[in-house]
Amino acid sequence: MNSQTSKNLDDAAAWVARMDGMAWTDRDEAELQAWLGGDPLRQGALLQCQAAWSSLDRPRTQAASPRRSVRRTWLAASGLLAASLAAVSVYLAQAPDAYQTQVGEIRRVPLADGSVAAVNTASRLEFKVVDGRREANLQRGEAWFQVAKDPRHPFVVEAGRVRVQAVGTAFSVRRSAEGAEVLVNEGVVEAWAAGAEGHRIRIGAGQRAFVTDDAAITKVAASPSSIDRALAWRAGRIDLSNDQLGSAVAEFNRYNRAQIVLADPSLAEERFDGVFRIDDPAGFAAAIGLSLGQTVDQSDPKTIRIGQAAH
Amino acid sequence: MTPVDEALAARRQRAAWVAREILPHEAGVRTWLARAKVRPEDADELVQEAYCRIAMLEAVQTIDRPDAYFFSIVRNLLLRRLRRERIIRIDAIAEIESFRDDVSPTPEQAAGARLDYARVLTLMGRLPERCGEIVRLRKIEGWSQKRIAEHFDTTEKAVEKQVWLGVRAIQRAWSDAEGEAETRSAAYIQTPRRRRP
Repeated sequence: MNSQTSKNLDDAAAWVARMDGMAWTDRDEAELQAWLGGDPLRQGALLQCQAAWSSLDRPRTQAASPRRSVRRTWLAASGLLAASLAAVSVYLAQAPDAYQTQVGEIRRVPLADGSVAAVNTASRLEFKVVDGRREANLQRGEAWFQVAKDPRHPFVVEAGRVRVQAVGTAFSVRRSAEGAEVLVNEGVVEAWAAGAEGHRIRIGAGQRAFVTDDAAITKVAASPSSIDRALAWRAGRIDLSNDQLGSAVAEFNRYNRAQIVLADPSLAEERFDGVFRIDDPAGFAAAIGLSLGQTVDQSDPKTIRIGQAAH
Repeated sequence: MTPVDEALAARRQRAAWVAREILPHEAGVRTWLARAKVRPEDADELVQEAYCRIAMLEAVQTIDRPDAYFFSIVRNLLLRRLRRERIIRIDAIAEIESFRDDVSPTPEQAAGARLDYARVLTLMGRLPERCGEIVRLRKIEGWSQKRIAEHFDTTEKAVEKQVWLGVRAIQRAWSDAEGEAETRSAAYIQTPRRRRP
């Protein structure tokens, strides 16, 4: 063991033993602060030892990891809802139902056929049933669908020229200027571009594909966990796993009016893991700042600036 | 509360969070560092530095997956250190960057590396006799150091000394739980895999 880190731990353990004992006075605190000031790593050593000591306390009951349970509960609930509504669904010609979200807003809506949609930030979705055909029109943004099973009535999402058809499946579609990205987390969908109906591809669970307006299709197999991560927005979260800071920042900026700016563009390539609240860009920036040893400037309420411009 | 009490309470609270969320994963992170061919003394420093970062965080409630967060701090510190070295093994960096994805444990795997009380009792059981007795009276029975000193008819300083030994031994046990670390970290960090182009 490195002598300095080891010495820090020995000393830190002595401080923890001392804190555990008699009343802690101003003078004790001042001495501790003086010791901490002697080496930047000592804060860490103190925490290591204090946590070790704390680990011996009797446990209090703990909640399970909120992330997974929230997602599961919600999925389970939406499944039930879909099933119960599907049982009584009646398909009538109708004016489309429209669902629109503001920046940062995420809405879960039951559709008229018993399916469920989660509409992501700054998006607009219309839904109607025409001649027994279920049509969802994603006019902008992104939405995830859990489709009520009904083989006789196809469920088709239109995103610009891109079409995605499913029967009893869960998938998301995200529109962009050149086409749409499709992520499938259950079942199988077919996707194509309008005017190129003959050129359809099947996208299965755990796959993602990008369909361009001119019918070019790129399909990638993705791990189920990465599909889950990409859909973490449904639970109000951004889930990073070795993602580049640049794209993580772009994600946060999709959801928030306060925009994160990387003052030094070279930071964009740093990679991160972690799960963050979608509506807390400041908390994310602070965590990144600390992790990279960069300053975070929030003096302008509309901008969160990470790092300093390179000179 | 006086400012000193507040500082003390804040440190205790942070320590309790770290004991629950980070400490059980330390051995796994160290196994990963060893596989990345980081020398043990460097690993000690990286880990201490990572704890330092956590000590300085203003709040920890926003961190949803503390294990992954801790791991990424260590990895970023390591990458930064490698980049700073004049002679860089490019493949080393590529390799570390490719340790990915699989580091996120499933809930079942994460359960394997949690702070469970049975394990804590085992750790306490391994302390030297006198030290272990004092630590158990302090932690399980909740006696103060002063009362323990009276019980053994010794000085408070002597009790504090045994607590010191106990703290150090438990800290070491969490960081180099080697045998156990293998199984735990296997669940947590899998063999490095190169990212597909």
